[in-house]
Amino acid sequence: MLGLIPVENSNSLDALRGFLRHLLESGLVEALYLPMEIDGGAVVPALVVEPEQVAHANPLAPAMSINGARAVSALTGKRAPARLAVVLRPCELRALIELVKLQQASLEDVTLISLDCPGTFEWTDFIEVQRSGNLDLGAYLDAGSRGEVLASPALRTACQMCTHPIPEKVNIHLRLFGADLSKGIPVELDDGIADLLEMVEADEVNPAGRETIINSLLAKREQARTRELEQMQTRLGADGGFAEVFSSCIRCYNCSTACPVCYCKNCLFRTSAFDHAPEHYLNSAHLKGATRLPGDTILFHLTRLNHMGVSCVSCGMCTSACPSEIPVGVVFSLIGGQVQQVFDYLPGRDVSEPLPLITFQVNEWTEVGEKK
Amino acid sequence: MSDQNGFEPRIVAFLCNWCTYTGADLAGTSRLQYPPNVRIIRTMCSGAVDPVYVLKPLLDGVDGVLICCCHPGDCHYQTGNYKARRRYVALQQILKAAGFNEDRVWLRWISASEGQRFADTITEMVTSLKELGPNPARQIWAV
Repeated sequence: MLGLIPVENSNSLDALRGFLRHLLESGLVEALYLPMEIDGGAVVPALVVEPEQVAHANPLAPAMSINGARAVSALTGKRAPARLAVVLRPCELRALIELVKLQQASLEDVTLISLDCPGTFEWTDFIEVQRSGNLDLGAYLDAGSRGEVLASPALRTACQMCTHPIPEKVNIHLRLFGADLSKGIPVELDDGIADLLEMVEADEVNPAGRETIINSLLAKREQARTRELEQMQTRLGADGGFAEVFSSCIRCYNCSTACPVCYCKNCLFRTSAFDHAPEHYLNSAHLKGATRLPGDTILFHLTRLNHMGVSCVSCGMCTSACPSEIPVGVVFSLIGGQVQQVFDYLPGRDVSEPLPLITFQVNEWTEVGEKK
Repeated sequence: MSDQNGFEPRIVAFLCNWCTYTGADLAGTSRLQYPPNVRIIRTMCSGAVDPVYVLKPLLDGVDGVLICCCHPGDCHYQTGNYKARRRYVALQQILKAAGFNEDRVWLRWISASEGQRFADTITEMVTSLKELGPNPARQIWAV
């Protein structure tokens, strides 16, 4: 059902807080996972059980300190211990679906809340505008609802090239695109939830306007994506291109820590498997004349591509986390996307769709394994 | 055995315990001749060959990696070889996209009774790798 969260005094954030608070007070859920404002200007995700605390919630802030899928994995495990609602951006939601398939999170007793996502700033940019008091949330949302962006700060690269800014298959969907947020926040929600919250059915304010805004936004994003991917394709196509892109990697593992779907509980690269006897390094140097330390950097990135490239949701948290400013996310979007295409798979599309690498068909790629 | 430049490719082969490992043994006991360029690693199933095991020797400079599996439908664990096939398809795509020569990685179905097929596969792979030349990663230490 389509409803409208009424907005007073053009304060859409307060209206949304009231709506979310009602979820707790009505007993629909016992706990809420959502971004909260804290001292110092940061907006960080938290698990909230006390309705009063929702006064500090801010799911509309253009920031993403982590991809929340990992957090929801921690909160739910095999099954959430209470009725839980989680507010996630579309890319977080898609990553969560992948984690559910990997049996590292559960949707049982979980109410999914998401929003049309206008995009997020780099974390440091966000903190800077917050601390200097220069963030005009209203202006950001106003531009966002029209499919536009503020002049500065720029959105994260991943957001600029995001072609899935609209959530699918959620219980509560805040439809920001095309909305006049100074008057109300259109919300699409499950009938059961609408009944419980006593929401009244509202007419779509301007369906044609929404459609036009979405189409032009997607066209812009598609264009940016194609440009980024083509540039990366050219870089990788050069001799030794892959090694060149990752040449400045300092092996901090930030990319795999920030990645919501890098799913191994114990990453092989952070075990003793790569701790060798001192002689090993000398032998290795003798083989090629020299050996890089720490070694196996390209191996690390290629292995990660093999392990989770097929589930990459292009959230770009790896790029944001990289201290060497390597466009890790673009590489993964490009190569991961190609692997996804091979298996006709879109990560996060549908929880019932099996992961390509744990399923198979008997009659596929029948040329593989035979004499060429 | 050497080509004109004396280049002898080195191959790392992952052989499934239940099929090709025995097949290779059969090739030996049947005194079939095949090039000695292959270093064999026995695995319990081709489905257990994680891409990292294939990538590590490739980046260290080995010229080719061979993964040998039971024929489709014959996996000792029912489905390991089908999963190995998918993983191989993904690996090929990633190698190609990342600018590595995917023709250095082969997958072959070879049963326990196919000693000849094993010998032929090694011969064929050595010939093919000689045409490709040495793995450029041999010279690159900054990986």
